[in-house]
Amino acid sequence: MKALSLPLPAEPMPGQIRFGALRRSAMLLFGTPLNAVLTLLFGVLLVATVPPMLRWLVIDAVLFDPSPRACRVAAGACWSFIYAKSGQLLFGIYPLDERWRPAIVCLLILALLAWSVRPASWAPRLAALWMAALVLIFWLMAGGFGLAEVPTSSWGGLPVTLILTVVAIGVAFPVGILLALARRSTMPAIRIGAVVLIESVRGLPLLSILFVASIMMPLFLPEALLPDKFVRALVALTIFAAAYLAEVIRGGLQAIPNGQYEAAAALGLPFWRTQYLVILPQAIQVAIPALANTIIVMIKNTSLVLVVGLFDLISSGKAALADPDWPSPAAETFLFIGAIFFALSFSFARFADFLERRGPTAH
Amino acid sequence: MLSDARTRSIIIQCALVAVAAAFAALLVSTTFANLRARGIPIGFDFLTMPSRIVISEAILTYKSRDPYYWAIATGLANTVFISAVVIVFSSALGLVVGITRLSSNPLAAGTCRVWVEVARNSPPIVLLIFLYSLWWKVLPPVGEALNPLPGVYASMRGFVVPAVSMDVATPGLLVIALALALAAAGWAAARRRWLPPLTAPAILAVGIAGLWLADAKFFVDWPTFTGSNFKGGKDLTPELSTILIGLIIYTTGFVAEIVRGGVLSVGRGQWDAGHSLGLPRGKILRLIIIPQMLRVIVPPLNSQYINVVKNSTLAIAVGYPDFLAVMNTIISKSSHSIEGVFIILGVYLALNLSLSSAANWYNRRIAIVER
Repeated sequence: MKALSLPLPAEPMPGQIRFGALRRSAMLLFGTPLNAVLTLLFGVLLVATVPPMLRWLVIDAVLFDPSPRACRVAAGACWSFIYAKSGQLLFGIYPLDERWRPAIVCLLILALLAWSVRPASWAPRLAALWMAALVLIFWLMAGGFGLAEVPTSSWGGLPVTLILTVVAIGVAFPVGILLALARRSTMPAIRIGAVVLIESVRGLPLLSILFVASIMMPLFLPEALLPDKFVRALVALTIFAAAYLAEVIRGGLQAIPNGQYEAAAALGLPFWRTQYLVILPQAIQVAIPALANTIIVMIKNTSLVLVVGLFDLISSGKAALADPDWPSPAAETFLFIGAIFFALSFSFARFADFLERRGPTAH
Repeated sequence: MLSDARTRSIIIQCALVAVAAAFAALLVSTTFANLRARGIPIGFDFLTMPSRIVISEAILTYKSRDPYYWAIATGLANTVFISAVVIVFSSALGLVVGITRLSSNPLAAGTCRVWVEVARNSPPIVLLIFLYSLWWKVLPPVGEALNPLPGVYASMRGFVVPAVSMDVATPGLLVIALALALAAAGWAAARRRWLPPLTAPAILAVGIAGLWLADAKFFVDWPTFTGSNFKGGKDLTPELSTILIGLIIYTTGFVAEIVRGGVLSVGRGQWDAGHSLGLPRGKILRLIIIPQMLRVIVPPLNSQYINVVKNSTLAIAVGYPDFLAVMNTIISKSSHSIEGVFIILGVYLALNLSLSSAANWYNRRIAIVER
């Protein structure tokens, strides 16, 4: 016990903290034989890969030199291509003079998304705000009423990705709720219908649904009613999202104890008001982390519409690469596009983490 | 009151079924009208006709004069091959990455975390196109091929690996031996939750004895460089290699997260309880920790495996002929779109349902038996 009563220095010397931190990291890196082996293994791996990557990404790269010739001679990445082509990469084949319109649309959607993820702004008027924003977005994109008209076949790039994501999830959400309720229904015809629909959509790759939508719709529908490629892809994405959201919401519904239904019945609430006022608010609250994950999957999935000929970010990247003046820096372009998707879904993932930590709010 | 609610429910269901039937009838009649208007025949008899489509590479042998059904089988074999390779490799890698993420070593945990975040937050199709664009940038021409492992070469033309082939004199004996080994495994699995220690060697011995009796010979075909190209070995084209590497990188990120969740879900108290019973570490791991971990990781792992089958359709992005790409070519070539769509839907549903029922069977076996 004598050792414990030794007077400790009131303040550690400045060098001591340094030493302590050093010692701690040395312990973490080499404390046990396993840690030492891991450090050596990953150290060799990082030393072998990181410096060449950095050299390519930054040191040898052409950053702002606007002439394509600089890229031809440089050993590193050609970022000036991204810089010179940013308009085409982000907005695709949208008419050159009208690019301010998709730019505003992108900013509007991103701002609204940022606003919507604040738990404080979750209220029925948020839905009204989105409806108003969507009308504005379609007016800005498609034109009419004073703006030059732009057909959906000329839409491209980031706004297509964002609009597809937002509209598909927005429409799929109420459909998903209905499907989830139908799957838990006591009426066998409704339950079986919902199960067949949900399970067959979930059993299929999104690409095959997109293909089927683009192959079958011209056969299913009379020619006059045939929607264009954009709407076809949107329908396929919405059906896909609805099936996945339905399962997530069903998970939330299963977490609601029977007492809630009994209490609502005791108050004499009819079925739909029970769901709307009592069950769904709690079920969705429980399901929010899983919902956020589904939304990340949908953000990533919109990148698949290129295979049915829609002009999303990847297709506009490919189109920009076709310019013969430039040395076709494909890796840089797809890295840039990947970074956009990464930024979108990574920020959403962090938001989901935040909600998970926050836990369900008390009612 | 009860009869009232019941009649109402019956009326609602009848109305729903009637609406669905009317909708389906409308779709079918419009479809037939559209098909007649365009003069497109319906029927599956085109399957036996020669396809004359080109499949750029295949696991099975395929020639363009083969019938349509063989083209479909070739595409399906490619899809199954990609899925199987990706599932095996990403499960093993994911186990390592997931456990390394829990390590106290910041270098190891950090690197694995970067891997997981990149995989989880980038669309697989962008990852594949990016990797494909790197191919000609990073790898040397065929004359200066990298040789990272003996017999493995990497160059602009893809990977070349040693090929293993087997020559069996009497295939019947081999089949009998394999059936015996399978039956023994099934019997052992049915009798006990954990296989008795001697079963695995016994099954192996039966298999090896079967191989020996059937007079099987193994050949390893090592690739050799001859002037301008490789001779022998198995060629993995840049397209196939890209889709395999890309999907393995992508899936590993998800498997790693599932494994990490599984490890974290078993509390420290379980280890302590095992120690206090005097069990050695290996037994605690085998009898206490792993069974509880499996229970947590099998359901999400199952949906991940199904995702691999679905993601294999992205092969189309780099031009590898998987099942969906082949079907797409067949549909545009033969204009039998309805039949093609039914085959696409049927095959993917069958693949995914069989995968998930296998996983569900396994899941039931390891689930908690509650009284």
